[in-house]
Amino acid sequence: MKQPKYLFNAGRMSRKDNTLKFTPVDEDGKEGTPRYLPIEQVGDLYVFGSLDANSALYNFLGQEGIAVHFFNYYEHYTGSFMPREYLLAGKMQVDQTKHYLAPKKRIEIARRFVEGAANNILRVLKYYENRTRSTPDCVDSTLLDAILTVERLLASVPTATDVPMLMGIEGNIRQTYYDTFDAIVGATFCLDGRSKRPPRNELNALISFGNMLCYTACLSTIYHTQLNPTISFLHEPGARRYSLALDIAEVFKPILVDRLIFRMINKRQLQPSDFRVEIGSCVMKEAARKRFVQGFDEQLKETIKHRVLGRSVSYRHLIKLECYKLQKHLLGVEEYRPFKAWW
Amino acid sequence: MYVILVYDMGQKRVGKMLKLCRRYLNWIQNSVFEGEMTEVQLKELLHEAKRIMNEEEDSLILFKNRDQRWLEKQIVGQERQSTDNFL
Repeated sequence: MKQPKYLFNAGRMSRKDNTLKFTPVDEDGKEGTPRYLPIEQVGDLYVFGSLDANSALYNFLGQEGIAVHFFNYYEHYTGSFMPREYLLAGKMQVDQTKHYLAPKKRIEIARRFVEGAANNILRVLKYYENRTRSTPDCVDSTLLDAILTVERLLASVPTATDVPMLMGIEGNIRQTYYDTFDAIVGATFCLDGRSKRPPRNELNALISFGNMLCYTACLSTIYHTQLNPTISFLHEPGARRYSLALDIAEVFKPILVDRLIFRMINKRQLQPSDFRVEIGSCVMKEAARKRFVQGFDEQLKETIKHRVLGRSVSYRHLIKLECYKLQKHLLGVEEYRPFKAWW
Repeated sequence: MYVILVYDMGQKRVGKMLKLCRRYLNWIQNSVFEGEMTEVQLKELLHEAKRIMNEEEDSLILFKNRDQRWLEKQIVGQERQSTDNFL
């Protein structure tokens, strides 16, 4: 059972006795008691604090196939240390590229991603619509309107003839979706339009941070399959980014990230005092960031009874199953159907 | 599977055993480890351990549990080392 480890404390990571030794360092530069992390149980390392490490460590991590994800002071994803690909498969690579190159085949897959995302968005909206309806004094119809709009947009997905057009529909769906955020958590936070790079207010900061966690989770899952993370279908495969992770994250963002945000805000686990507003941007404070990552980790560990497999699987594993389905589609074994939440 | 592992080794071998266990499980106290692991990992660990041990003198005891949930853990006094994922 490999588990990701999240490093918030500054310190030094080193290789010791063929396992990992982490020595925390406090603000005065004093070393704390070292802690050993069992190498066989480490999935990925998420580095939020400052980390000292040397090449011997990275050689060791590379050999063990452990990725390290780095985040900067402003909680932005800066990059990953990815070990050498170990599941190389030429046939897979060729098929993946072929599907990208043929516009017809490409849009087929791209449509599926949008479909999956829209369905999961609807699932979230319907849940909250149901909740607001049960409070009798509320006559707000924002959520209901949004559901109808998203459903209409979803119905127009098959008519999209090329990927930019599809991206347009996808953008409209997201826009409608984000417009409802105020109705769901408006009492504490207001979204006031989605803003990125940098996020302008608290809720935007949360969404950006959450999406990024989802993105890295997808990236490391893709790494453990034979898919190539740089060749994507919905997003344009640009240079210097792992865009397939963006495609897959699209499907999971509503259920993994947004639901977590709503839950944590409505339960008052996150409050305005947890944020620091700086000139033109907004960042989460250390403790809140830790709580949020903790919540995300628990969310990924949460299990559901899978309908087809007939056994319990964790949300993290669902991402992997999504990759497998995509592989099967690319190899022509079985058509890809996106994951749709049914609860 | 959730495992608690305790060992009692001769002085010469105790260091080796410590290093081996650190690779697979979380250290919680002298000669005591705990953590989640798979069947295969446990087999690997035991195979390695048997090579280190002198089975005439040393002992290694395993407590196995299907899931961490079924284990109630109570700590009296100091927790020497926590086992969570957040550092």
